[in-house]
Amino acid sequence: MVRGEVAGISWIQTRAMNRPQFQPEQAKAIAGAFAEEKVDYVFIGKSAAVLMGFPAITQDVDVFPKKSPENGARIVAALRRIGFDIGREMEDAIIRGKDFVQIKNGPFDVDLIFAPDGIESFDAAKARSLNVEGFQVANLRDIIASKRASGREKDMIDLPLLERFREEYEKQNPSPLKSAADIAAKRKKVK
Amino acid sequence: MNSIEAVEEKSWQEFREQCRRQMNRPLAQRIKYGFCRMHKPVLDDAEWRIFETMAEYREWCAAKLPEYLGFKPAR
Repeated sequence: MVRGEVAGISWIQTRAMNRPQFQPEQAKAIAGAFAEEKVDYVFIGKSAAVLMGFPAITQDVDVFPKKSPENGARIVAALRRIGFDIGREMEDAIIRGKDFVQIKNGPFDVDLIFAPDGIESFDAAKARSLNVEGFQVANLRDIIASKRASGREKDMIDLPLLERFREEYEKQNPSPLKSAADIAAKRKKVK
Repeated sequence: MNSIEAVEEKSWQEFREQCRRQMNRPLAQRIKYGFCRMHKPVLDDAEWRIFETMAEYREWCAAKLPEYLGFKPAR
């Protein structure tokens, strides 16, 4: 389901091209609104890696929320609080937890990914997640697992960079937590 | 190690150093310089999209997005 796709330069293209860059204040605003509304989520994707210090550029904020009607209602309230125009159709999709909701009509672009590739469950990802100065971000191993599972060209290009970044990140921030893929590989070795 | 491998190893070493420098920068700077809006044809030409399943999303990417954006499955 798509809104706004028209031939030629549409108002949204013009708006997207003229829209200011995502600002640190907006990052704090979304994290703050999610915290106030008690949204259960983690940041995921390249945007999460950037928050951790991955030296790269991205343009949208990827959020992996827990899929439940209650959490969906909280997301809607949080996004409205920071200026997103959430219509009835989108509200319904978020509350029902449709796998992928892409929002480009707010102060910045947000992707809500209720079922990211390569991650077995929200609860497992949340348990492995980290708090980076108030931002709840997925474990880098989950971010990498998700990108690997997606199999897209652009993600395959990022993978070797993300792997090296993970090695450096884990040297500075040692953590006993591993991704589901690591745990499965360890079990396989034991067998 | 041949000369190509040596160059590659050096560039990875430089990337690792870049990672360490970036991790040591304040979060606000990482955000300020880590997010850059660039208009992507087709992808950014709608107010919103809803996909029932990830499979549906992948099919849409493969069918609609320009190849150079890199959303298609790697061969």
